[in-house]
Order: sequence, then C-alpha cells, then structure tokens
Amino acid sequence: MGQFLQFAINGLMSGAIYALIAVGIVSVYKATKVVNFAHGYLIMFGAYFYFTFAVLLPGASWAPGWLPSWQPEWLVAMKADLPMFSPMGAVLDWVSNLPRILLGIFGALLANALLGRVVERVLMRPLMGQSIFAMIMVTVGLISILSGASSLIWTADAAFVPHIAPNTPVRFEAFGTTIFLFGADLVNMIIALILFGGIVAFVRYTKGGVAIRATAEDQSTAYSMGISVPKVFSRAWVLACTTGAIAGAILATRNGVSPTLGLFGFSVLAIVLMGGLDSYVGVFLAAMAVGVLEAMTQWQLGGEWAEIVPYVTVLVVLLIRPHGLFGSKEVERI
Amino acid sequence: MINGNLKSTYGADERVLDNAYKQAFVYGSFMALAALAMFANDYVILIACKMGILLVAVVGINILTGYTGLVSLGHGAFVAIGAYSVTALHNLFTGIIPEPVMVFVVVPIAVAFTALIGVIVGLPSLRVKGLYLAVATLAASFIVIFLVEHDSLAPWTGGVVGINTPAPNILGWQLDSKREMFILISVVAIVAILAAQNLVRTRVGRAFIAIRDRDYSAEILGISLLKYKLTSFALSAAYCGLAGVLLAYFFARILPEQFELDLSLELVAALIVGGMGRTMGPVFGVILIVLVPELIKVIASGFTGGNTASARYAAPLQEIVFGALLIFFLLKEPLGINHIVDRNLRALNRWPFARG
Amino acid sequence: MTLNRRTFLGTTAAATAAIGAPMILKAQPKEYILGASLPLTGPFATAGQLVAPAFGMAQKLFNDEGGINGTPIRFVTEDSGYVPQNTLANYQRALASHGSSMIGYFADSTGAMKLIAPELKGENARIMGSTSFASELANPSTHPYQYMSGPSYQSQFDILLENIKKEGGSTVAFIYSNTEFGRDPIEHGRATAERLGIKVVLEESTKPQGADIPTHVTKLAQSGAEYCILQGYVTGVWPQLIGGARQFGLPTKFKGTFWGMEKLIADRITKEAGPFLAGYEGVMPYRYFWDQADAPRYQTYAAAAKEMFAGTPLENYMSTWALQTMCGLEIAMKSFRDTASAGKELTADNIAETLSGISDWDSGGFFGGPVSMKNNAIGTGRVYAYDPESGLFNPTSDWLTV
Repeated sequence: MGQFLQFAINGLMSGAIYALIAVGIVSVYKATKVVNFAHGYLIMFGAYFYFTFAVLLPGASWAPGWLPSWQPEWLVAMKADLPMFSPMGAVLDWVSNLPRILLGIFGALLANALLGRVVERVLMRPLMGQSIFAMIMVTVGLISILSGASSLIWTADAAFVPHIAPNTPVRFEAFGTTIFLFGADLVNMIIALILFGGIVAFVRYTKGGVAIRATAEDQSTAYSMGISVPKVFSRAWVLACTTGAIAGAILATRNGVSPTLGLFGFSVLAIVLMGGLDSYVGVFLAAMAVGVLEAMTQWQLGGEWAEIVPYVTVLVVLLIRPHGLFGSKEVERI
Repeated sequence: MINGNLKSTYGADERVLDNAYKQAFVYGSFMALAALAMFANDYVILIACKMGILLVAVVGINILTGYTGLVSLGHGAFVAIGAYSVTALHNLFTGIIPEPVMVFVVVPIAVAFTALIGVIVGLPSLRVKGLYLAVATLAASFIVIFLVEHDSLAPWTGGVVGINTPAPNILGWQLDSKREMFILISVVAIVAILAAQNLVRTRVGRAFIAIRDRDYSAEILGISLLKYKLTSFALSAAYCGLAGVLLAYFFARILPEQFELDLSLELVAALIVGGMGRTMGPVFGVILIVLVPELIKVIASGFTGGNTASARYAAPLQEIVFGALLIFFLLKEPLGINHIVDRNLRALNRWPFARG
Repeated sequence: MTLNRRTFLGTTAAATAAIGAPMILKAQPKEYILGASLPLTGPFATAGQLVAPAFGMAQKLFNDEGGINGTPIRFVTEDSGYVPQNTLANYQRALASHGSSMIGYFADSTGAMKLIAPELKGENARIMGSTSFASELANPSTHPYQYMSGPSYQSQFDILLENIKKEGGSTVAFIYSNTEFGRDPIEHGRATAERLGIKVVLEESTKPQGADIPTHVTKLAQSGAEYCILQGYVTGVWPQLIGGARQFGLPTKFKGTFWGMEKLIADRITKEAGPFLAGYEGVMPYRYFWDQADAPRYQTYAAAAKEMFAGTPLENYMSTWALQTMCGLEIAMKSFRDTASAGKELTADNIAETLSGISDWDSGGFFGGPVSMKNNAIGTGRVYAYDPESGLFNPTSDWLTV
C-alpha cells in the first residue's frame, strides 16, 4: 500500500507536467485548428534555452561572478557548518543558484515566445484555410528542422541544469513504508498546476480568451465581429511556446537536457487526443490518468513497458470514443 | 494534355502506356536500370537499392494516402513486420522446405501477415480520420516497435540486438551480392508500380478515389467504407511488408531502430514531395529524398576536405534540409514534383504556341 | 545504336577493363585507408567529438613511424550520429569507394558492430575495431574480424561483482539503459551474482537519455540495495541518478563500467551539482592519462598533443574514450605491420590471424604489464574510485585479469 502511494504520487507529479505540455497543444488547436506535432520539439528548445541562459551564459568568462554562483556573506556563513547533503544545504545551494535560475527562466520564456511567433508567422499563417493534412505535415516537417537546428547549435549532448526549486528530499512514513519525494518535483507540480489553471481561467474570463474561443467557434464570424484573427493565432502560438518553455525547463531539471525531450511531444499528443482535443478538463484528467498509469506500470512491469502506456491507452480510448473522453464531436455536412 | 493522343480502338484507350511519351519514358527507364546493373560502381548500386526498397513502401503509402485519403504516420512499422516475419519464417522453415523454393513460400506468408496486421491497425480508420488516424497509426507503430524489441519475442525477432537475415535463393540462384539484389529489387519495384497503376483503374481503385474525395458521399453511393478502407490499409501494409522483405534480404542484419519514426516520416515525406495520388509521384519523391542527403554529404566533405571537426555539421544539415523540403513542397507545390514535371512537359509539348 | 550481341560484348569488355584494371594495379596501394565512423552528433556526441582529434594525432604518429612498412596510412572519419545503420552505410560507402586499399574500419557502437558483422565475408571482409566492449564480439569463431581493445562488459561486471563480494556486500541493483549497450552484461551479471551469493534486488531499465530520474531513484530507494551497478550510459542519466540518490541520503554505493569512468564528465557534474560522485567506483581497462611515469607511449602522445592541440583542452588530457580508440588503433597497426613484415598480403584473413595471435604484447603503458589477445579481447582491467576534490580517479585495486 505504501509502495502504491509512492508510485501514485510519482504519477501525479509527472501527470501535472504532461498537463502543462498538453495545454500548449490544446490552446493552439482551439484557436487555429492546427494540431502541433512539433510541440515536443518546441519544448526541447525551451529546455535548451533554459540551459543556455542558466548554464552557458553565466559560465562565460565575461559574466559577473555573482551570476553563476551568488555567495553573499550571510550565505557563506550559514553554509559553513552544514554537513554535506543536508536539507538546509539544498535550500542554500538553491539560493546561490537563484540569479542564474531566474535569468534562465526569463531568457527561455522570451526566446521561446519569439520562436513561436516566427513559426506562426512564417509557416502557419500561409496555411490558413488549407487542408488538415497539409497543416499536420508542415508541423511534421518542423520536427526535422527543429531537431536538426538544435543539434547544430548546442550539439546533441545531455547536460545538467540547476533545479528551479530547492531540491530538498521529503521523506515520510505511510503504511509502514518510507515514501521518498524530491522537493523540487513537488514545486514543479505546483507550478504546472497553477499555470494550467491560469491558462484555463485566461481563456474563460479575459477578453483575449474570449477572442480565442470566438475564433475557435467560427473564424469568419469572429472576423466580422472585429476580432483580429491573425492576432489571435499568434497569441495562441506564443502562449503555447511560453508554457512550453516552462515545461521544458522543468523536464530539463528532472531528466537532463537532451534531444530526446522532443519525444515527449508524441506521448502528450496521445494524451491530448485521449482527453478530447478541445477540452481542457478532459486533457487534464487524461494527463493525470496516464501519469499514474505510467508510474504503476513502471512499478509492476519495469521501465520499458511504461514507454508505451500513452499509446496503448489512446488506441483503446479512440476505439471506444472516437473523439476522446470529453472532445466535442465534429458535425460533417456534405 | 498531350497531343498525338488520338485513339481509334477501345483497346488502345485502355492501355497502361497510352501514348508515345509514356512508352518512351518507361522503356527508357528499363534500359537505364539494365545499364546500372551492368556498369554502375558499387556505391551507385548501394544507393539505387535503397531507393528501390523505399520506393516499394512509398507506392504502398500512395495507395493509402494518395488514393484513399487516409493519413498514416506509422507505416515504418509495417516495413518492420515484413522484414522480421520473413526472417523468422526462414529460420522456422530451414530444413523443412528446400532452399530454392523457400522464397516462394515465406514471402507470400510474410506479406499476407503484414496485410493482416494492416487491417487490425486500420480498424480505427472506420471511426476516426484525419488527425486522429495519424495519431492512432503513430501509436500503433510505437507499439509494434516495442513488441519487436521486447524480450518475450526475442527468440523470433532477436530483441534489441537485432537478428541476422537470410540471403534469398530463387530456384538455385543465390543472391549474395548487392548487384544481384539490385536486379531483384528493380524487378519487384517495377512490378509494384505497375500493379498499383493498374489497381486505380479498377472498381476497387475508383472506390478508393471516391472515398478520398468525400467519404460520406461515397458511402451514399453504395461504396462500403468498411470494406474499402480496410482493403486500402491491407494493400498498403502489404506493399510496406514487401519492402520490408527486400530490406531484410538486402541487409545482412536488421535492428528494430531501423524502423522507427524516422522511417515512417521519410515514407510520407517522399510521397508528398513526389506528388500524392500519382503513379510516378513515389518515384520522383524517393529519388529526391534519398539523393539529397547523399549530395549534402558529398558536398560537405568536398568543402571541408574530410575535416572531422566539421563533419558533425553534415547530419543536422541533412535533417534540416529534409524538413525544409517537406515544408517547401507543402507550401509552394502541394502537388509535388510530378506536377512540376507535368507542367514542363506540357510547355515543351506546346512550344512555341503556348507556355504551359 | 542497336544493341546486338557484338556491341554488347564490346561495351561489357570495355567496362570490365575500365573497372578491373585499376583493381589489379591497386594490389600495392600508395596509401592504406582506415575508415571510421564516430558519433559526432546524437546522444553520444560528447564522446565522439573528444575521440575525433585522436585520429588526426594517430595518423601523424603512425606515419612518422613509417606507416605500414613504408606505406603511409590515412584515416577517413565520418559521422554516424550513433545510429547503427548510418555506420553500416558509411562502411558500405567506404568499401565501395576505396576498395581493397581500405584495410580496416573503426565502428562506434555495439549495434553497429553487430549490424556489420554478417557483412564481413569473402572480399568484403575488413578488420574491425570499435568503441564497444560487447561480450558477443569476443568470439573469434562467430566474429573473426572484430576485436576489442579491453575486457568485455561481462568481464567488467565480473570484476565489479567480485569487488563487491570482497567488500562484504550482499545486495546489488543493476540499472541499465534500454539499449544493446546497456543490456549486454545483465544476464551474465545475474548469473555471476548468484554464483557469488549476492542478491540482485532490482533490475531497472531506463531510457539512455532523458530518463525519468525521480521514478528510478525512488525504485532504487525502495529496493534498499547496498550496491548499484550502472551500465549503458555515457553522459546522461548516471550523474543525475547518483545525485538523486545522494540527496535522498541513500547509503547505496555506485559502480560503473568503462563508459561511466570519464574524468571530464565527473568533473563537470561536480562543478555543476556538488561532490555527488565521491566514492563512485568503476572498471577501467587502461591507465589514466595523467599516470605517465611507467607509460612511454603516453609520453609520446602527450608530446604530440602539446604540439597538435596547443591552446585547446585536449592539450594536456586525453579522455578515457580517446585512449580506448588509441589502444584499438595500436593493436590494429601492430597486426598490420606484423602481417606485412611476415611477407603476407594485407587481407582481412591474414590480419585477423596475426591479431588473434598477439601475445605478451608490451602496449607501452596502456595496461599494467604485457597483455595477450584472448578471444579477440584483452581481459585486463583495474578498479578506480573518483575523488571530487582532486578530480582524479585513483586506483583501488591491482591490475586484474579475467
């Protein structure tokens, strides 16, 4: 039972990150009807931008000394008499990393937002009104371009980045077994949940959000009501890319920066279809369910089985409910 | 429109090569292939064999995507199934069936088996389409590769470490050199193209096209969606399975990672670049998709003089160019190279009276 | 022109003459080609880019020493992206364009070695070294042309497990990447552990890169293993895994095999995340590059590196991976030279015969003493432990031969 709890919590934590990635795909789909197969690779770019701004830039010779490692006197004094790997030490390490973590996050957000705008303007705008097939395949082509570009710029090397939050271990007893959790993972989960909630609220209650929903409902009507549809498009892409940057940074701290991060996009795509392309609630539930299922598979069957969990579940769900758990059925007219 | 197209008999109108241009082109290609087999150096043969194998698979995708309008991003898995099942069958039947006739037993079984899996994977196509189907096939291909790699099937598939493949023996003719394989591959590829070309002239092919243009309308016209969508999946899977068989015969060993997502995307990209729903589309597409990376490699090594420090830029560059080609054709020339060729031929034909 | 029998025969004869003639003249080529594929991109790019300069240095050194009995050698290196079929394609391309003047090939992964192995027959056979220590290759009857410049992963596991036994350990966990490279010694390791009476409490496979570290660490924590052997990683995963376990305060001791023993990576992790790797131990077949006192060959390399790589980090330090490559090339050169000196033609069969017969070879300091080829591998190694303060791997055992 204790073991079960351990893996359930692990699953919820990765589920939250899946949800954060998924929100990008759903937002773009809602506004533009494009399903972005390359979203995973945009996330990978977010991770590499975080790596650039949090590790490479502060490591440069011309960077000020406090940037890579901030060591004010009070911090040094506090650190002096702590044993290695103590919980407090983890917090202090985080504090001295704080300047570059902040630089990393803001840099990644800005750079990824810019990337999203460029992609939207150059590749997606000309395809407005084209067939779904063409739009899917353009994002597929984007996969190759992004992954080639990333290995050209950063070399395809797995690298280490600082955690966003203090990585204090959390340990407690439940049902007779010790439960191990990483502090940073808990914070990551909270960040992911807050962002997810924030975006749902944005789309539901703000003026910009209403514009997105109106465009989703009917593009030409939205146009005639004075909504700038191209602006809505680019806003949706920027939104997806910025959430992607955060998700990328989180994934990078968990798993290291590497080109394999792009593959997350495919499992999340499966999750999105499972939940229903245009339903935030459905996607959230599907992400959590897949996260937990994956963790359980990992526990019972081992690591390699966990990799196909999203794919098996999406096939089962699509056979039973072709438009996902909460997706709205498209009405076709002949 | 091509002039000199006057037909005086129904027979002439129904021929596959219904005008002199097509005849010249097809017979010319036969001669070119024969010349390649005789005179080309090993490197050219190697590239040509790869093109041939890929071509058979892309012709299969063309039936599904080009003619029936169903999108699949997972057909690499069918190539894998063909390759692995033919190898497993060879190993199973060694000693039971004499070597010279082995090919005639195992290849049909392997292709039929792949077609059967194709039907199973195609089942979601009855309820979902477009994007959902793309993801469903993608998911199915991840699962197939997972199963191929998995330990429990390792006695037949070799697991992650791969498995050695047999060299084919056709009635006593042992094809153990690349040049001999090239002859086999070109014959199979030509037959595959002709068969596909003929298919779209039949009732089945016309049903496919009707489904592509509007599936509900087709159903109202009395075309059974169940039957024809699954037939299309089965046929395209069979073609990919055949490509897998050739691949297994061509290479001495196969590994699961040869059949992953990259292959599936390459197949679809070749089709889009070449021209969907056209007989020659796959041919043009495959030539471009295989040649461009090779050219980049050659040009890059020419520029850098074989310098290792800069060799690392070639592979990412190939990847970028691959994506850029795909996007360029989607945005600027959605009908593919085939359309460019058509346009130029037409202009040439009408010259000097009109320009296109 | 109509194609009748006479013109056909004529052209065929002309073509045969054009293709065949140079082949006959090439019997004694003016230079020998040694092909190589390296992972300059892809998941193991770090390793590939550190190894690549070694080829340039080797070419210069070997040619200064007279090449192969007077005939110079030239390396043709290409990128594989750590994708086996790319290596195969590179090999086939090199074979098609250099023909018989290519006498050897250097491949970059276990997968590539296994993929190419069945292609090596008859005229297409070439002698082949690699970065892999895969156990299956240490078998001259199935892989006559492929060799290893160190102990197989299975032997490395044996060394580690016996080391654990000696320290009084009773439980061990195997964490490995879900690749050929990672899976290679697992089954064998299980058997050895059983023989030694050590209980394997966890066998966990992970992705080779971008693995879900927290989940794997919790699994390790729940298993309560005293020791953990990591296999199948180069740069990713292993440092993070050890870091995670240290943060949890797990008492588990970590051990690794050759590819997890690079100082540059260990230093980078220490700099980035603190002294996590204190006490990390593993098997390395060779001396580290700083241990040059008893290694005359290392001194030669150091002198050459000072000159060739002045101003780069490679100036003073050669990575373990580059050393492995150099050792592989030394073995190949020795067999080429010995074969040529014996007056035999440089065919793959002759070279393979010489190579498998190498015994009591003085490697010039790579290994502790003279070594012999057994099953096309050199079963010698040493256990080293990492010290984050000095940034050095210090030997904790004597030279062990399995």
